Amino acid sequence: MPSTRDIRRRIKSVKNTRQITRAMELVAASKMKKAQQAALAGRPYAQLMATMLAALAPRVDESQHAFLAKREVKTRGILLISTDKGLCGPLNSNLFKLVTEIKTPAKFVAVGKKGAQFLARTKRDLLADFTVSDRASFVEVRTVSEYMVKLFLEGTIDTVEVIYARFKNTLVQEPMVRPVLPLSNLRQFIEALQQHAGVVASEFNDTRDMLFEPSAQAVLEALLPFYVNRHIYQLLLSAKASEQSARMVAMKTAKDNATKLLGDLTLEYNKARQAAITQEILEIAAASFAA
Amino acid sequence: MALTLEIVTPEARVYSDKVDTVVIPTVDGEIGILPGHIPLLTQIEAGELRVTKNGSTEFLVIGPGFAEVQGDSVSVLAESAINEEKIDVNAVEEARRRAEAALKEKFDMDPGEIERLEGVIRFAVAQLATKSRRRN
Repeated sequence: MPSTRDIRRRIKSVKNTRQITRAMELVAASKMKKAQQAALAGRPYAQLMATMLAALAPRVDESQHAFLAKREVKTRGILLISTDKGLCGPLNSNLFKLVTEIKTPAKFVAVGKKGAQFLARTKRDLLADFTVSDRASFVEVRTVSEYMVKLFLEGTIDTVEVIYARFKNTLVQEPMVRPVLPLSNLRQFIEALQQHAGVVASEFNDTRDMLFEPSAQAVLEALLPFYVNRHIYQLLLSAKASEQSARMVAMKTAKDNATKLLGDLTLEYNKARQAAITQEILEIAAASFAA
Repeated sequence: MALTLEIVTPEARVYSDKVDTVVIPTVDGEIGILPGHIPLLTQIEAGELRVTKNGSTEFLVIGPGFAEVQGDSVSVLAESAINEEKIDVNAVEEARRRAEAALKEKFDMDPGEIERLEGVIRFAVAQLATKSRRRN
C-alpha cells in the first residue's frame, strides 16, 4: 500500500492537471462558439454556389475552361486540412485514416502542422504546407487555394480534393474527402449528396439552354476561380469549427476523468490515513498493556 | 405562378421569399426577371436590386456577385446585401472613408486585400446612391 505522502503527491498532480484541462476547455469553448458561427453562417452561401455550379457544368462546353475539362487522373492532388495543435481527441487520426486509404498516386498539400508532420513521417509526397490562424481570414486561405489551382493548371496534379473534418455538431465531426476540381466530379458528388439527403434534384429540371450575360466566357472566367476560393474557404471554416469542438469535448472528458480520479484518490488517502492512525493506537495500547 | 428569390451572402441568408418580379443590376445594365424566364447566369455589379411583390416594391442594395435564374427560382450570390430601409448613411460614409484611407496608405498591399477594399467602396457608393434617390 502506498504511503499517505505518495497519495498526497498524486492528488496534487491530478488537481493541477484538472485545472489545466478546465482552462483549456474554457478557451476551446469560447473559440468554438466563434468558429461554429462562422462555419454555419457561410454554409448556405457555399451550398447555393455549389448547386449553381452543378447546374452549370453540363450546360457549358468542357473546352471553355480548364476547370471543366475532364482529364485522365494520373496524380490526385489532396489538400489535407488538419490542426496545428494536438489535444483534440481522435480528430486528426481519423483524417489520417482517410489518407492511408488512398492507394492511387497522389501529391499532398497540408494545412496545419499535424498533417504536415504525418505526411512527412509516412513519406508521402508533400508539396507544401501552410499554417492558417484560428481566425482564418479569407486572404490567408486564398493563398492556399491559389497554390492548389496553380498546381492543377500546371498539370502537377490532375484533381483537387480536400480531406477535412466536416463540422456536424459539437459532438460529431465527420472526416470527409470533398472533390473540388475538375467540376465534372462536383456534379456527381452533389447528386449523391442530395440523394443521400432524400432531396429531389429539382434544380436540374429546367433543360432549356442557358443564357450568359455578358458572355459565357466572361462569366466562367469570373465565377470558377471565385468558386474554388470560396469553397475551400468554407471547408476550412468547417474544419476549424470541428477542431475547436473536438478539443472542447476532449478537454471536458479529461477534466471529468481527473475529477473522478481525484475522488478515488481522496478515498484511498483517507483509508490509508485511518489505517495509520489505527495502527498507531494499537501500538500505544499494546505498549501500555505490556508495561 | 411566382418567382422564388433567394439572396445569400457569406454572412447570412438575406432574403428568401416568393416574389412577382425582380430587377437585378448586372455588369451590362439592369435585367428584369419575370416568371418563365429562360435560364440565365450573370455577373452582378454593386447596385440596386428591386423586388416587386403584390404591387409593392422593395429596394435592396447588393454588392458584386453572381445571379442565376433556373425554372422560376432566382438565386443571388452577393458579397454583401442590405435592405434600403436599413441603410445608415453616416455609417456607410464612415466605412467608405476608412476603406479609401486604407487603400491610399499601403502600396505594397496584397491584391486580394485591394480587391476587397474596392468592393467595400463600390458597395458603399451604391448604398448612398440608392438612399439619396429614394429620399428625393
